[in-house]
Amino acid sequence: MAERSPVGGGGAARFVGASVQRGEDLRLLRGQGRYVDDVRLPGMLHAAFVRSPLAHARVVGVVTEAARRARGVVAVFDGEEIARLARPRASIPGGTDDGGPPVYTLLATDKVRLVGDPVALVVAESRYLAEDACELVEVRYEALPAVVSAEQALDPKSPPIFEDLGGNVIYGPTTKAYGDLAGTFARADLVVQAKISQHRQQNVPMEGRGIVASFDPETGELLVHAATQGVNTTRAALAAQLGLAAEKVRVLAGDIGGSFGLKFGISREEVACAAASRALGRPVRWIEDRGENLTVSGQAREESFEVEAAVTREGEILGMRVQMVVDAGAYPGLAPMVVDSVREMIPGPYRLQALEFSATVAVTNKASYVAYRGPWAAETFVRERMVDLVATELGLDPLEVRLRNVARRGEPPLRMVTGPPLAGITARESLERMAELIDLPEFRRRQAAARREGRYLGVGFATYLEPAPGPRSPDSPPDPGELEHQRMRLEADGTLSVFTAQMPHGQGHETTLAQIAADQFGVDWEQVRVVVGDSSLSPAGFGTGGSRFATMAGGATLHAARELRSKVLEVAAQLLDTGPERLAIVGGLVVGEGAPAGGLQLAELAAAAERGLLPVGTDSRLEAEVTFDGGESGWSGGTHCALVEVDCDTGRVRVERYLVVEDCGEMINPAIVEGQVRGGVAQGLGAVLLERSAYDPDGQYLSGSFMDYLLPTATDVPHIEIEHLETVRLDPDVNFRGVGEGGMIVAPPTLCNAIADALAPLGARITEQHLPPSRLLELIGTIGG
Amino acid sequence: MNEPPEPISPYEAIPIRLRVNGELRSGAVEPRRTLADFLREELSLTGTHLGCEHGVCGACTVLVDGEPARSCLLLAVQVNGAEVRTIEGLAVAGELSPLQSAMRDQHGFQCGFCTPGFLMQIQALLEERRALSEAEVREELSGNLCRCTGYESIVRGVMAALGSGADG
Repeated sequence: MAERSPVGGGGAARFVGASVQRGEDLRLLRGQGRYVDDVRLPGMLHAAFVRSPLAHARVVGVVTEAARRARGVVAVFDGEEIARLARPRASIPGGTDDGGPPVYTLLATDKVRLVGDPVALVVAESRYLAEDACELVEVRYEALPAVVSAEQALDPKSPPIFEDLGGNVIYGPTTKAYGDLAGTFARADLVVQAKISQHRQQNVPMEGRGIVASFDPETGELLVHAATQGVNTTRAALAAQLGLAAEKVRVLAGDIGGSFGLKFGISREEVACAAASRALGRPVRWIEDRGENLTVSGQAREESFEVEAAVTREGEILGMRVQMVVDAGAYPGLAPMVVDSVREMIPGPYRLQALEFSATVAVTNKASYVAYRGPWAAETFVRERMVDLVATELGLDPLEVRLRNVARRGEPPLRMVTGPPLAGITARESLERMAELIDLPEFRRRQAAARREGRYLGVGFATYLEPAPGPRSPDSPPDPGELEHQRMRLEADGTLSVFTAQMPHGQGHETTLAQIAADQFGVDWEQVRVVVGDSSLSPAGFGTGGSRFATMAGGATLHAARELRSKVLEVAAQLLDTGPERLAIVGGLVVGEGAPAGGLQLAELAAAAERGLLPVGTDSRLEAEVTFDGGESGWSGGTHCALVEVDCDTGRVRVERYLVVEDCGEMINPAIVEGQVRGGVAQGLGAVLLERSAYDPDGQYLSGSFMDYLLPTATDVPHIEIEHLETVRLDPDVNFRGVGEGGMIVAPPTLCNAIADALAPLGARITEQHLPPSRLLELIGTIGG
Repeated sequence: MNEPPEPISPYEAIPIRLRVNGELRSGAVEPRRTLADFLREELSLTGTHLGCEHGVCGACTVLVDGEPARSCLLLAVQVNGAEVRTIEGLAVAGELSPLQSAMRDQHGFQCGFCTPGFLMQIQALLEERRALSEAEVREELSGNLCRCTGYESIVRGVMAALGSGADG
């Protein structure tokens, strides 16, 4: 357990560090959550989309007359009609290096670019009737050859998906170099080469996307109930696309049924529904079904890498040359940003001296590339797989190679070769602790004995850093958009309201911020009300993502509560005619010299302030506003380890043990931290053993149901052992660090390394991430590949 | 020779009566209306969630005459006369049931979307009053999908509820 500093006002921390029960659960466990699908508005209409059955085609004609006449139908919009109601979207915000980004309409107009591309929107009195009428919309297509892989897309002869783009490359190739690459390769004893790839996979929150949009023709205001990771981001995007002033748009979000990166901003379909509501003057609701979610909501991770590593015989990795290609699907927005993160993070905790990194992003006729829990995770997959390939080549143990290369705190280099500071990293400690936990020599003996019986056991490690949000960089101040703004108010009934731009979707933020505020202010955590999900009350800020919550919102809460406490004590001192330094807030009461015997209730104090009982000139607003820049911040990180057995007759992988040694600084609520870690690991195991977003050569999507896209179940995910490391305190006050993405980032290489270790005697070289039984049997030659 | 029966219009409302969480409810539903939509739209019991609408994820699980059933695959007309229980019926006099309390203690769930299906599936399990190992519990839960937790906290919640000896 992390050491905690005593705090002022309320005395020592009482709630931070404890696995207090979640406040959210009182409603969620009773079925009283309020998700977007639960919103009912008077006069509400229901939307359904007509979608393309082809991956790539010209739209020759859309005939909607029969659908317009169908029972219960209020309106049908084709692509051209929606295009007159809303502005087009740009594929890549900020544009590409060469030429402008391709723009596209909300619904397809001239052509469709993936299976499921929306072509028309039907609005009816019920969802049943809207779906009925979709069947009556006739769309004539002229099929075009589909581009279904990055390899195809990079061929200059491939049919362009966006005519104005010319080819199918939307970014790059760009190359950046750091350090003396030629020198490291000249000094190397050996160059290890590999082509490493990740497969397409997807977020799959249990709740899909959805919206209830309600435009009021009288006031010209648009009210939107959304499933989103940030109400401000959604509001800004909606206002821009509909040509409305931001002040005319209010976004509300209730409970969110998971997201994992999917629900940032607002999707094409959701904007189209808002446009329809504006045109019709009635609320329009769209709830994505699972087929739509799997087919078109977005997919991630399909990236391939050619890697060369310059190494010494002793296992020192001197430099790397990496070429990355991203298959970004039809309407990509995020891929270039991910490329930047992968490049910056690929050295990880190791003392790499030089890197040359080039990247190309291609568009294809598949679902669009979106953020998925640790969007830049390829840096860890490629690096950690590469470390094991180097170890194999040199006949060294992979753990030994990691320990040889890992940076040590306080020793040079103090930064990754790509720039980020390595302050406070505990990668070495996590590796050493993991070695103790599993007793590697004993495992190797057991492994050798098993092999003699024809059984294949393996051990795999992977180490990672999670920029959560990463140490303060001395030479680059935080981007203004990255600052965390927060407001806190003592209400008339003595409760403390915390206003945050964070938008929890399973992470328990209402509880964790209440814990921090309660400790700092001096009340019970249940007296704190965390206000989220209303753009009219939210401070500025983009919402929840990138493992930023713990440091940024946790820190902002800590500082806001301290500031408000001082203010409240000033006011109390005025009322009680004493000095603020003689007072404290304990258990929701103002106590100390000059306070009444039983203490002064916060509600009484708030009421007195409201009634103006204070001397003229006293600031009686019991409110604090802070902006937090993250302080010194730092890395989360750690080492995972899997012990597996591969059944070479069936290809089935059994995870014997899965261990996590992680460091996320001071834990706010350990049960929530462990839930984040285990949930992320489960997704990572699913990615390796089950999940794949598969397409056929014509671009037909093959994984459009839960019978085809397999999620891990309770029998697939093993018990996950977790050990927390003691924190390094870089900041005097705020040492909570994010932990949302690490599990998903590091579990795939951990498991792949373990499987590779198990299969080493069979000559299987693993350079890919999807290893279901059929693929393992191919790799070991049991069945033809 | 008998005339074939008149086909029923897909839009014709069929009267149904059933007991939901102990209360007698009646309605008139189109034959194609699912039980899930009837509960959510007509009875405003939105605690039952739809996660896939093809019977795999289990989020919509309710108890029909004591047995877990996927309300997305049942038509409302099929439960005419039945006793249906949903997540809204678990709490006793506003207090969390022992199962709900155990789940809260163990931080069983995160986003809460799969929660109704798990709770109803587990409720049926608890009412069987069988002693179960952790592996058996995992097997019993393997028809319900959760994307947030990795299941460990849910399994712990079930073990705690089983250990308390309460039948829900």
